Amino acid sequence: MIRDRANTLDPITVEVVRNKLDGIANEMQSTLFRSSFSPIVKEGLDASASLFTIEGETLAQAIAIPIHLATLIPVVRTFLREFPPATMAEGDVYVMNDPYLGGTHLPDIALVMPVFHDGAPIALTAAMTHHQDVGGMAPGSVPTNATEIYQEGIRIPPLKFHDRGMPNDTLMKLLRLNVRVPDSFIGDLNAQVAACSAGARRLRELATKHGSTALRAIFANLLDRSEEMTRQAIAMIPDGTYRYHDFLDNDGIDLDTPIRIEVAVTVDGEAVRVDFAGTSGQVRGPFNCVPSGAHAAVYFAVHALTDPDIPTNGGCFRPISVTTPEGSLVNPVEPAPVNARTATIKRIAGCVIGALRAAIPGRAPADAAGEMLLLAFGGPRPDGSRYVVGELIASGSGASDGKDGVDVIETDGTNCMNLPIEALEMDAPIRVLRTELRAGSGGAGQWRGGLGLSREYQVLHGDVVLTHRGERHVHPARGVLGGGPGALAVSRIHRMGGAVEEIKSKTVTRLGPGDRLEIHTAGGGGYGDPATRDPEQVERDQADRKIGTSAAAE
Amino acid sequence: MAAEAVRVGVDVGGTFTDFSCVVSHGRLFAFKLPSTPEDPSQAVLHGVDMLVREYGVTPAAINVFAHGTTVATNAVLERKGARLGLLTTAGFRDVLEIGRQMRRQMYSVRLDPETPVFLAPGRFRKGVRERIGPDGAVIEPLDEADAVAQVAALVEDGIGALAVCLLFSFANPAHERRIAALVAERWPTLPVSLSSMVDPAFREYERTVVTAFDAYIKPAVDAYLARLADGLIQVGVTAPLQIMQSRGGLAGAVTARQRPVRLFLSGPAGGVIGAQNEGRAVGFDDLITVDIGGTSCDIALVSGAKPLIRQEGQIDGYTLRVPMVDVNAIGAGGGSIAWIDAAGGLRVGPHSAGSVPGPACYGRGGGEATVTDASVVLGLIDPGYFVGGKVALDPGRAQAAIRDRVAAPLSMSVEAAAFGIHRVLNAQMAEGIRLVSIKQGFDPRDFALLGLGGAGPLHVCALAEELGMTRCLVPRHPGVLSASGLLAAPVEHEVAAAFSRPLDGLELSAVREALTALDAEAAALMAVEQVDPAAVVIGYAADACYVGQGYTIEVPLDLTQPDPLARLYQDFLALHDRIYGHAVDGPIRLVNLRAVHRAGGGGATGKAEIATGSPVKGTRSVLVAGDGTRVMATVYDRARMPTGLRFEGPAIVEQSDTTTWVAPGWTARTLDTGALLLERPVLMEVTP
Repeated sequence: MIRDRANTLDPITVEVVRNKLDGIANEMQSTLFRSSFSPIVKEGLDASASLFTIEGETLAQAIAIPIHLATLIPVVRTFLREFPPATMAEGDVYVMNDPYLGGTHLPDIALVMPVFHDGAPIALTAAMTHHQDVGGMAPGSVPTNATEIYQEGIRIPPLKFHDRGMPNDTLMKLLRLNVRVPDSFIGDLNAQVAACSAGARRLRELATKHGSTALRAIFANLLDRSEEMTRQAIAMIPDGTYRYHDFLDNDGIDLDTPIRIEVAVTVDGEAVRVDFAGTSGQVRGPFNCVPSGAHAAVYFAVHALTDPDIPTNGGCFRPISVTTPEGSLVNPVEPAPVNARTATIKRIAGCVIGALRAAIPGRAPADAAGEMLLLAFGGPRPDGSRYVVGELIASGSGASDGKDGVDVIETDGTNCMNLPIEALEMDAPIRVLRTELRAGSGGAGQWRGGLGLSREYQVLHGDVVLTHRGERHVHPARGVLGGGPGALAVSRIHRMGGAVEEIKSKTVTRLGPGDRLEIHTAGGGGYGDPATRDPEQVERDQADRKIGTSAAAE
Repeated sequence: MAAEAVRVGVDVGGTFTDFSCVVSHGRLFAFKLPSTPEDPSQAVLHGVDMLVREYGVTPAAINVFAHGTTVATNAVLERKGARLGLLTTAGFRDVLEIGRQMRRQMYSVRLDPETPVFLAPGRFRKGVRERIGPDGAVIEPLDEADAVAQVAALVEDGIGALAVCLLFSFANPAHERRIAALVAERWPTLPVSLSSMVDPAFREYERTVVTAFDAYIKPAVDAYLARLADGLIQVGVTAPLQIMQSRGGLAGAVTARQRPVRLFLSGPAGGVIGAQNEGRAVGFDDLITVDIGGTSCDIALVSGAKPLIRQEGQIDGYTLRVPMVDVNAIGAGGGSIAWIDAAGGLRVGPHSAGSVPGPACYGRGGGEATVTDASVVLGLIDPGYFVGGKVALDPGRAQAAIRDRVAAPLSMSVEAAAFGIHRVLNAQMAEGIRLVSIKQGFDPRDFALLGLGGAGPLHVCALAEELGMTRCLVPRHPGVLSASGLLAAPVEHEVAAAFSRPLDGLELSAVREALTALDAEAAALMAVEQVDPAAVVIGYAADACYVGQGYTIEVPLDLTQPDPLARLYQDFLALHDRIYGHAVDGPIRLVNLRAVHRAGGGGATGKAEIATGSPVKGTRSVLVAGDGTRVMATVYDRARMPTGLRFEGPAIVEQSDTTTWVAPGWTARTLDTGALLLERPVLMEVTP
């Protein structure tokens, strides 16, 4: 049960403060979303706000996509080492983005502000935003063909962004010169400052009301409570070591070499250990993922499979330890490129869920396709102006006990919207010829896997550069307990002259007028023996075109 | 009395059908009847009967009959809409099911579909050969034989309504209209909704969803409103039946039946208009309303005497692009359950005891400790006078539930636990209200708090203190505000169309031309209403965004300005700054244009008669701190409180539909309108 210090606190005040901390984190995030410029924040929700104890544990976090879960912990640890609390001053704001010092990938810039009460720092507020561009070899700073981090943008070590309230002009000048859209870049950083300030203001109010000593005791109690609840939830999972592995198609450079991800999840009483031994070594392309990403994926999977209602704070993370072999995909040695880590994080989350499925089969679904197909088209319009449009297209989710998978849905680490066809066609001389559920792509089973998407584009004008970053072209989402695998993703280019080119998961190529691109995203795995599926559901699937073969895919 | 004109507002809710009636000399009477869910028009007609028999109203004297209805919402919640067929451009029949691919439950791994597939599963969706391009040009002509064949197959499968949503129909509706004509020739009784009429704006999924919902509920709404209109005529009511639309304006039943998708927030819209009217009558133009019921707490904002409208809202968890009053629900209410989590901490909600079994004190078998049980223990609610004494509460059960479920596990007194439950709930609701305000760029301290619902007035002082607010308002009849709002609403018709053009180089004449077309449509809708054309006020607005952005802001467009487009740009910057905290001097783009024709509204609220006798009922001991501190509160009878009555907290004001808690440090005053104003000094310290 709860540790001793809890007994000296009023449990009602503790709960009131917890509600306020969640409210403060939400208010910070709302401030961040409202005042950011970057479309990635506004539409991809790629930003988050957190409160930390002065010891560096997460107190509350407002996140819109799980990939941000706990990712600021190593950043805050680095700041605490670089700027120990005794040296912190009111009005300081710290900044960094370097993945090899605790960051994620270079576009994610973290800002942290110490909160003072009675002359001493009592907590930290933090905001992380995916910036539209941080320089490097390609606009947007996520070059698929990067082979070292220096090509991915500017690296910022832990520095003072504000020093006792004074902006660091030297740093600003340096940053402005290294990014492509300096005004909105600085605007987004200022939005982060605004979010941290809003959180700090309300934390100070709390400290004034409760006194900083009592408040810090409440913080400690809240962390203990979440730890306790997480431990109890883990204790319900049968002990053992559960293994799973899966693959990414390739690293975008060596197209014929799949990348292995392997996890051994050990449930030992109230603790979980995740070991990545057996995972591929670091790769030449940008799919490497520094340990913070692996942690986010593991925390997501454990949180989702235990009790998502447990208040999320650093206490939830205490019973979980993660081992990432140095020089591997999940703990690369610099200067390995890391910008495309999202696909890796999604697959890691899938592997941890896959491993725990053996322990708690009812709660974990079959493999999700977990494919987030990234397409980008760039070319001229008939009037001579140029366009770049990007698309993120989802795939099928895995079936689970009692539920079919969901068709074309965001799973695990990400949660982005797709692009309306009408928005695409109004912006670029490209026509979408069809958009349909991909019949027959869901893994067969008593419960069927979710379907992928079939879509066909035709270029109407000019010379178009196409970036295609797929997954699941080689290894399918597996079914469980007799359920079948989801269909593999397939993409092809139909040239005007009649030639057909299969895309090996990732490519950067050119399309001309009349050329067509046909994509079929992957299906999710099935659950249980297909022979036991309710015949009425089979009939319904037939009538609703969920099964059978789609005309063009196979 | 027979000679006097009577205005009647009727709001049908799930449990009660509320009536608010104002006689021309200003007298107000309000009452509630049990709803008749199997045919809601029955309760409405019962009420008319009561008006005749108990209040001496002559049906012919009723000159306004305004109605808020849940029939559209219920058709969706109960899945009682039509078996729907959906016709799309060939190759795009699955747009409805694919949706926008986001999931709502971030940590869920066992997902449910996010799109309203139930409206039209795959077998009821067909593609038809045709194609219109982004500029409205016909790329492939409509294959009429194919269209007829597809509809014939759907009719064969038994559809009861048809939705048509073709790509780029907002840019050129010709193909959709031709399909409607072909259907009308062959299947004249089949209800049809065209996306180019329901929601002519870009983004095919959103347009499809609105159109499909419109067609899905059309037969149910149509049948209900026809039945009610007939019933009213039969009892001698000659006033036209008017229906509240989701954005807070009334429409004649004839029009409402053609655009049923605009009725989902019919009831709540009445409440927001009622709140706006209450505020305006006492000079408060900026209000936050908090309506606390059993399971949820609805929050809405009125700014500058105008309710906030949003361009898309939610129905049954699905996002629906149709303008509606901006009402935000959070899952906290009187029925919220207090529980002890696995680590021994106190939690309140999100689970609710609802009305069945309800709080423990209801004595209907509920054993959980709820917020209402805590209110009884604290002395805020008189167990003998709940809902005016119609529901007897059992204080013993309230005590026992809080003792067993909360106090004993936490080793504290029942009083401390009850007080704690309120503190936690108030903290949750205050954070919810703060977030709703901040997201719109508002500081709650600039607003007055309006308490509604059975439990709103019980919590307003505590919420105001948490939020740094200094004024609260409790209307005379907070339980029937939706009904009285119906009498304050204008007749209103809104028509919008896509107008995708950069502001740079845009000729005002092009805007005028587009608005003229919208005006013609809105005027045609207005012509059906029985309103004086001279009384119609026309307003315009544009949805605009920075070039490259995906989210738009509605900006007023005032054609009487010397340079309306320059003014629109300045207003866009100001609004962007308020909502998003910054505004750069960059190029912007218009996305949609909108015309709103409005007539009437804001009528006198009327005034209830004040009963004679002393307003003071007695005193009651109320717990005001976790350590057991009690104060003696004066208990007032709302019905007997004269205008201008002034008193200090601690006090309790009782009335049949709610209880108001005037906390220590607050001053209360009854206003001319009958509303109760609660105030505290601006610089008062926040109570612990």
